[in-house]
Amino acid sequence: MAEESRGTAPSLSAFDYSGPPGLAPAIAAALRRVVDPEMALNIVDLGLVYGVEIQGRDAQVRITMTSAACPVAEMIIDDVVDELSGVLGEGAKVDCELVWEPPWAPERMSPRARSAMGWD
Amino acid sequence: MARILLLALGAAALVAGVLGGLARLGLPLDVASGAANHGALMTGGFLGTLISLERAIALGEPAAYAAPLAAGAGAMLLLAGAREAGLWVSLAAPVVLAIVSARLLRRQAQTHIVLLLVAALAWGVGDALNVAGAAPNAVAAWWLAFLVLTIAAERLEMTRLTRRPAAAAPAFHACVGTILAGAAASLAWPVAGGVALGAGLVALAAWLALFDIARRTVGTEGFARYSAAALLAGYAWLAAGGVAWCGLALAGYAWRDAALHALGLGFVFSMILAHAPVVVPIVARRRMRYTPWMYAPLLLLHGSLLVRMAGDAGMPAWRAWGGVLNALAIAAFAATLANALRNRMADGARPTTTAGRPRR
Repeated sequence: MAEESRGTAPSLSAFDYSGPPGLAPAIAAALRRVVDPEMALNIVDLGLVYGVEIQGRDAQVRITMTSAACPVAEMIIDDVVDELSGVLGEGAKVDCELVWEPPWAPERMSPRARSAMGWD
Repeated sequence: MARILLLALGAAALVAGVLGGLARLGLPLDVASGAANHGALMTGGFLGTLISLERAIALGEPAAYAAPLAAGAGAMLLLAGAREAGLWVSLAAPVVLAIVSARLLRRQAQTHIVLLLVAALAWGVGDALNVAGAAPNAVAAWWLAFLVLTIAAERLEMTRLTRRPAAAAPAFHACVGTILAGAAASLAWPVAGGVALGAGLVALAAWLALFDIARRTVGTEGFARYSAAALLAGYAWLAAGGVAWCGLALAGYAWRDAALHALGLGFVFSMILAHAPVVVPIVARRRMRYTPWMYAPLLLLHGSLLVRMAGDAGMPAWRAWGGVLNALAIAAFAATLANALRNRMADGARPTTTAGRPRR
């Protein structure tokens, strides 16, 4: 499946990225620092990040949550804005949008997350 | 700011409910309305306010905050002695929460959100029975269904992350169906209804112990591990409470304290200890740092509940001591939480801002 193709560059193919290629690893690393507190897994491994678009110094991020009823979304969005602002520097505008389409599914989890949750 | 005020209403209901509970155990406290409304204060006033506040934040629509406001204000009216007004205002909370849950369901059509809606309706049935002056055990059965199904829904959502056998989903639905059928039957057939409810709770405890991610996250570290420990300990009490609920149905009043508090304190409060370090900072718009000290109130809660159960089993003096230590465990947890919030602020972390908006 998609996991196979992720083998070479797992940090990049976990979500759609458009922007300067040189910036991609730093963006991915920043998003990996955002951790869901209860699952001890970061949002990239959980498959919650759908896309990142960098235009100039501004970033547009699309993320989802496993549940629409959970208030943790607010904290995770703040963390995303915080971490990406750190990478893009002072004055950068980071917009993080919470989306519900397509719905999250366990298949979106990285091999590492799937292994931690007993899939393999 | 409004969130903090609503949280404060819930906290006030908690304090009054706990003091009322201690008075019921025979402590010399002058808290007549707290003692008379202990169950309503703990279920609707405290947990109802918190749960509907959590859901209002998730939905993000101002009108949704009417649910925690009604739950909290209703509790304050009960405390002030305006019983009739308090019960009717309280009843508005589950109605609004059911509407909020239905709106969340439109956003994401998932089983666990259907269950949240069902749980809100169960709360409403319990409140309506309370207004109508139904038997205390029937009211308690529906209030309990509200709390247990709300928690079960939240955990069900998390189990989507793990691989489950095909039989897991129908087994879960069977547990929920048994609990609801038991609660429904409790009014007309207290014995059969109580036994069904108790059996459903035991089955649900087994399901959660088998399939919850806590079984995996207990092997990690830091907060995730602490949280998992609290969850798993809670599931043990859920099973014990289910057995005690059967005892209450079959053998009567002597089992009531054990049944209600194995479930209300052992299960529900353990879930709060697992969950509050995540949710309270969101409500308070602050940051919190995990500290291993969080284990102290967790151990005190479970230890003191064993003391209380020994009291229920025939050593009356132990029951009151257990109750006092239960209250201390809750106070210790509140203090640990407040301290963890304060620490983090002192470290220079910024308060969080509105979701989706750039921080600077």
